[in-house]
Amino acid sequence: MPAARDLSGVAGAPSGSGRVAAIRIAIILVVVALWEAASASGWFYRDVIPSLLTVGRALAVLAVNRDFYWHLVVSLMEVGQALAIGGGLGIAIGLALGGSRFLSRAFERYLYYLGPTPKIIFFPVMIMWFGVGPASKVALGALSCFFPIALSVAAGMRQIDPVLIRVGRSFHASPMQMAAKIHLPAMREPILNGVRLGFGVAIIGTLLAETKLSNAGIGYLIMQAYAVFDMPRMYAMLIVLFALAIAANELVGRYAGVHAVSGS
Amino acid sequence: MGAIGTEARPAQAMAPPPDWVLVVEDLGKRFDTPDGAVTAVDGVSFGVRKGEFLSVIGPSGCGKTTVFNIVGGLEPGYQGRVRIGGEEVRGPHKSIGMVFQEESTFPWRTVLENVSFPLEVAGVARAERHQRARRFISLVGLAGFENRYPSELSGGMRQRVAIARTLAFEPTILLMDEPFAALDEQTRLILGDKVLQIQQELAQTTLLITHNITEAVQLSDRIVVMTFRPGRVKRIVEIDLPRPRTSEIVGSEAFGRYVAQVWNDLREEATRGMAESEIGALSRRP
Repeated sequence: MPAARDLSGVAGAPSGSGRVAAIRIAIILVVVALWEAASASGWFYRDVIPSLLTVGRALAVLAVNRDFYWHLVVSLMEVGQALAIGGGLGIAIGLALGGSRFLSRAFERYLYYLGPTPKIIFFPVMIMWFGVGPASKVALGALSCFFPIALSVAAGMRQIDPVLIRVGRSFHASPMQMAAKIHLPAMREPILNGVRLGFGVAIIGTLLAETKLSNAGIGYLIMQAYAVFDMPRMYAMLIVLFALAIAANELVGRYAGVHAVSGS
Repeated sequence: MGAIGTEARPAQAMAPPPDWVLVVEDLGKRFDTPDGAVTAVDGVSFGVRKGEFLSVIGPSGCGKTTVFNIVGGLEPGYQGRVRIGGEEVRGPHKSIGMVFQEESTFPWRTVLENVSFPLEVAGVARAERHQRARRFISLVGLAGFENRYPSELSGGMRQRVAIARTLAFEPTILLMDEPFAALDEQTRLILGDKVLQIQQELAQTTLLITHNITEAVQLSDRIVVMTFRPGRVKRIVEIDLPRPRTSEIVGSEAFGRYVAQVWNDLREEATRGMAESEIGALSRRP
């Protein structure tokens, strides 16, 4: 009897995942349909919900606009630098906290306090320190992604199965060998999960800063489009951002060997 | 039946017999717990002969694992001495290869990479370490599984990977802490056969820590029976069963007698251990 149930479970698995895919597609179709219906209804003030056709046209205009690419590169560079600085520091601090009970007890609490604080409140300070150019956006992005990365690396280091450490010691692995052959591979998943979380908040921090005060970047373009009430253009840029964020998340997720939905 | 005997502790002044590769002298270890200091192990002495299979058996809480950790060099701060080939040892030693009770394969490495690990750490070139690892993989009966990951194997197979990995270290003494504890009884008996066969082929000196009487009698030349807390040597039992052995031996009359004998020694300790942990649980109740 249980065997029969197992078999049916196995047979049901592909159709189950097929059903999930069908539901996912259905959700997109429903959203598109609702959007179009709302757009066509005329209940909303001019262009708040533009037709997807209009948005598509704006997207096409963006695609051939050299200025847009320049702004896109500015934003990507800012996010990349933010992730490199904040992530690098986060991994280093996380390793130190995860490796030392003393440091963890002394300092980690502050990270937990500061972690959930909206980093945008530090933006005025960043502008005073780093100016209105990209540097202040990088600083805010770095500040944003430092906390989740440091905390997940520290937690990941503590989660390493202690018996694996004892195995390494019993085979006389040197401290360098322990780090390279046991600690790092054992922490691959938490580190990459931390980087993924960090990447998300680095984008948030950087773009949020761009929307507040800047003269370049996608955040700046979005606010500019909003200021002249060019909604299709604004939505087109949002779609570009979505696509980029999804692509980056998938990339890190695939590298971590975990599915994007299962993590964090 | 005359094979049973209590052995006197080796007197410290006296040199141990020359065929003893591992000598444990007067080991003692205390742990500080919230309820005060607990003596886990007290005055434990025994020796392991070259090529011998020696088991240390005792009830839960008799400090078996403490003995394992001290001999393996992973437990600092103890009294007494561990000597290998006459030389006193502190810290992990290249003569000793440890197999742990817990799941200890590296999940991110294939079987081949797991078994190669000690050779990799020792700086053996890739081609050679893979070749040497393959020998131990087939010795534990996992030929054909070289490129599988531990998650694709059963618990018994994973523990064989761990044993092969430690054998690849080519230790003088194989030190195992309840390596089959997490496995079911049938797998345990079959793995016991595998261990017997390996021991036969490599003439591997082995020190096994266990709480399983059947396993101890099935595998051992001698069994060190320990008392409940503090862990002391209660008796050393010679198992005079013919070799080579297989798990079929568990049906024989002599086997049953040895099991009964060891249980007789252990019962008192296990009962005391159980009573003390019950009292402990009662007194800790809010």
